Amino acid sequence: MELLASLGDGFAVALTWQNLGLALMGCFLGTIMGALPGLGPSNGVAILIPLAFTLGLGATPSLILLTSVYYGAMYGGRISSILLNIPGDEPAMMTCLDGYPMARNGRAGEALALSGVASFVGAFFATWGLVLLAPQLVKVALLFGPAEYFALFALAFMTLGGVSSTNQAKSAFAAALGLGLAMVGVDTQTGVPRFTFGEVHLYDGIDFLVAIVGLFALSEVFIFLEHRGTDKDASTAPKLDIGRITPSWKVLKSCTPTMIRTTILGFIAGVLPGAGASLGSFISYSMEKKLVDRDNTFGTGDPRGVAAPEAGNNAAAGGALVPMLALGVPGSGTTAVLLAVLLSLNITPGPLLFTQNPDVVWGLIAALFIGNFMLLAMNIPMVGLFVRVLMVPPRILMPIVAMVSFVGIYGISGSSFDLMVMIAFGVAGWLLRKLDVPLVPVILGTLLGNAMEVNMRRAVTIADGDYSVLFGSWLTLALWAVAIVGFVLPIFVGGVVKARMRGAAEREAAITD
Amino acid sequence: MTTTFRRGLIAAALLGTAPAALMAQDFTPENPECIAPANPGGGWDFTCRQVGKTLQDLDLIPSTMQVVNLAGGGGGVAFAEVVNKRKDDNDLIVAASSATATRLAQNAYPGNTMDQVRWLGSVGADYGVIAVSADSEVQDLPQLMEMIKNDPTSISIGGGSAVGGWDHLKVLIAAQEAGIEDVRGVKYIAFDGGGEAVTQLLGGSLQAFTGDLSESTGFIESGDIRVLAVLAPERLAGEFSEIPTAKEQGIDAVGANWRGFYGPGEMSDAAYDYWSGAIDQLYSSEEWQAIMEANGLAPLDLQGEEFQAFVQESVNEITELSKEIGIIQ
Amino acid sequence: MSDRIFGGIGLMLSLLYIWRATLIPDSFMSDAVGPRAFPYGIAAVMALASIWFLIKPDPEPEWPRLGRLAEIGFAALVMIAYAQLLPELGFVISTAFAAAYLTWRLGSSPLQSVLIGVGTSLGIYAIFHLVLGLSLARGPLGF
Repeated sequence: MELLASLGDGFAVALTWQNLGLALMGCFLGTIMGALPGLGPSNGVAILIPLAFTLGLGATPSLILLTSVYYGAMYGGRISSILLNIPGDEPAMMTCLDGYPMARNGRAGEALALSGVASFVGAFFATWGLVLLAPQLVKVALLFGPAEYFALFALAFMTLGGVSSTNQAKSAFAAALGLGLAMVGVDTQTGVPRFTFGEVHLYDGIDFLVAIVGLFALSEVFIFLEHRGTDKDASTAPKLDIGRITPSWKVLKSCTPTMIRTTILGFIAGVLPGAGASLGSFISYSMEKKLVDRDNTFGTGDPRGVAAPEAGNNAAAGGALVPMLALGVPGSGTTAVLLAVLLSLNITPGPLLFTQNPDVVWGLIAALFIGNFMLLAMNIPMVGLFVRVLMVPPRILMPIVAMVSFVGIYGISGSSFDLMVMIAFGVAGWLLRKLDVPLVPVILGTLLGNAMEVNMRRAVTIADGDYSVLFGSWLTLALWAVAIVGFVLPIFVGGVVKARMRGAAEREAAITD
Repeated sequence: MTTTFRRGLIAAALLGTAPAALMAQDFTPENPECIAPANPGGGWDFTCRQVGKTLQDLDLIPSTMQVVNLAGGGGGVAFAEVVNKRKDDNDLIVAASSATATRLAQNAYPGNTMDQVRWLGSVGADYGVIAVSADSEVQDLPQLMEMIKNDPTSISIGGGSAVGGWDHLKVLIAAQEAGIEDVRGVKYIAFDGGGEAVTQLLGGSLQAFTGDLSESTGFIESGDIRVLAVLAPERLAGEFSEIPTAKEQGIDAVGANWRGFYGPGEMSDAAYDYWSGAIDQLYSSEEWQAIMEANGLAPLDLQGEEFQAFVQESVNEITELSKEIGIIQ
Repeated sequence: MSDRIFGGIGLMLSLLYIWRATLIPDSFMSDAVGPRAFPYGIAAVMALASIWFLIKPDPEPEWPRLGRLAEIGFAALVMIAYAQLLPELGFVISTAFAAAYLTWRLGSSPLQSVLIGVGTSLGIYAIFHLVLGLSLARGPLGF
């Protein structure tokens, strides 16, 4: 097998003490940066580029360090989602939905361990996908023109209805709010500024990291301030039980089909440049909920709701390397940074990379496998350590969370203006939470709004104003069909109402037992 | 030493007749700082970091260059900060490129103009290309322009910048030179970066691509795309020497995306000379030449007054073009 | 009632949004869809959802008493002051103040709060600036 021989060569490159050390360091730093709100994978990688340069590393060692940070951050994001209900980075947003309730139910350790396993499964099989399918997958990426991307994003928004709120109108409002915020900035298709009020800081639009940190982390601080000293005060509540720190076989077994499905789904989302890990974890969660959530336990601490987004987003992280390596096109913010690193190391990613620089590619892939095992080995025993965060009293923990959020944003953009926007999001997040408006659609809107609009306009412009192009290929029709048959019709048919009532009864049962 | 005399020295150094090490001993920055007007990982960030590192490796600066990211407004936030708050900071340089000049020319930094800062020098340029996918029937640039002339809706051209941005302007310059009357009819589709546009070209959504040479090299080498023309004054050296220029096909269009630096407007002359001298020495070093080759950067060796004049000229040209097209009144 | 007020605000917000969208200037060239169509659609969805809140409000949420609202307001003000003073005072000093305030308001004793505030500030400075090399705000004292 030629492939296995190449992979063997890759391991020969990667298995030096220096490279193993770099991978270990990268995995560790990445996990921490992923867990800190405000520092996601892309900024984590960007922050460590100078380190790679200062150490004078060659191409392969630099890449090993930086991709380990990348994988590590994808693992790390879940930690703060589960423990604090604050996503460490945007793909980990969906992990909050079931991870945090699990922690509240005294299963924090289990949730962390399970999500670690799910991350491993997603990343591991995605790396195999990268090895075996990269050339074929590139063709899939080429199938997606502007109209197909528009249909894909529309599908993502239509699945929202089932995801995060009992009140569909509030989901719709939240999505519209997020989309509306995404419109702020210079419109790339015409070059005119929109909703900027002449403020230069807004010309580049609102950074979704600012939105996510404000909405989740700062609003959490406000909630704590509100509840201090009342009977809802988490700091005086009986200590949370941490529970077991390994998942039981039963849970693992029940999550296995979920992990397999979402790995595939996440991987495909990752391969599409312009979709990326956030869409991967989102679609994984909403599809899985649709498919297996018969008793409406998703959102109340269902282990499958933890496994699905984690397997999905880590698989997407691996998938995003396919277009980066094979096309030289970044599929996400992080791979855009990695691409810039590759270019500065005199490596031109693209169709010829696999033949021109086999040592780099296979060394990198081998390093991904190694890093992945390291992360699993690091994350499972450290669950016991992570959960100790819950023992820190909120009066100390929450200010730290707030300050880390500020630093993360300020350190990246260097602008007080972004901090002000973040505080505004914090207050808005608190209000929305009081009114039971879900935050996930807001983030999804800011995250995907631009891409959705722009792809629709590209498609229609290329077709000279003919809107039928949006339904013009078998792929668009398939995506629309899934969206409408799977997610829109059920809302009107009314099955949802019944499910909701059943869900409410379930929830009460869950609380009492 | 009078200013004029020192400037004379710089000019002499530019011509290579004076030993460069003699220059500017009367100023050394204490805390050299480079502002990258974008988030970490972007082009400006890399300009800062690579130049900072190489300057230190060559001992041209006394300590590590601190890179500060100040993102927003396509560079406008950093520009305003330098003009308003850091106008006499001698230790500061800011990464810039053609995109900076384009936005200045189109008044996209509200209230700011290019003469509010001092332009230090360039570290290279990236020439524009216009390409089609390998299986396209279009063989050369005049043929593409002819097709646009006959039916502008038949050709969708994609590029990595917003409408009115540099990738778009390059096509418009070429179209204008090719004799297309209303260049606004040229169908340009904006993407987030050249890579995404090339993908859509290969996927068949687009008929042509406009971008920089460095972002298309991978596809040129693999034979997936065919470059119709490079927008350089003459053919490039090395592996890309087979690519015809637009000029030799009768379309006199040149488009170089340069990379360089500016400093605060009230920077002292000594500091100005120091920084432009340092960039000059950096440019001629072997280390930097290797980096340029690695990044697909073409030569553009302008420092000090020459660079100031070059930026002025390119801002003027873009202003004029933008007026003609109607981007600005 | 809260949902009705929310619906009213939402409706106003969407009308405001539509008004701002009409003010988007025309470009020298426009694509087939134009820069205004999508914002109009978004505002329409927002308006419909808001009308729904007006007609069918959810049960009343539990609002905090006035004192607690003031508490949240003050915390937001401190954060705003922090954002403004960060470039002036430098990272360590302003962060110590802000962290100490929040710690105090979340129920620590004043002395503890000061210690925790300073500790938080120095800890973050060490990790983010010294280890990770992020450029944090440099005040007059250089940190």
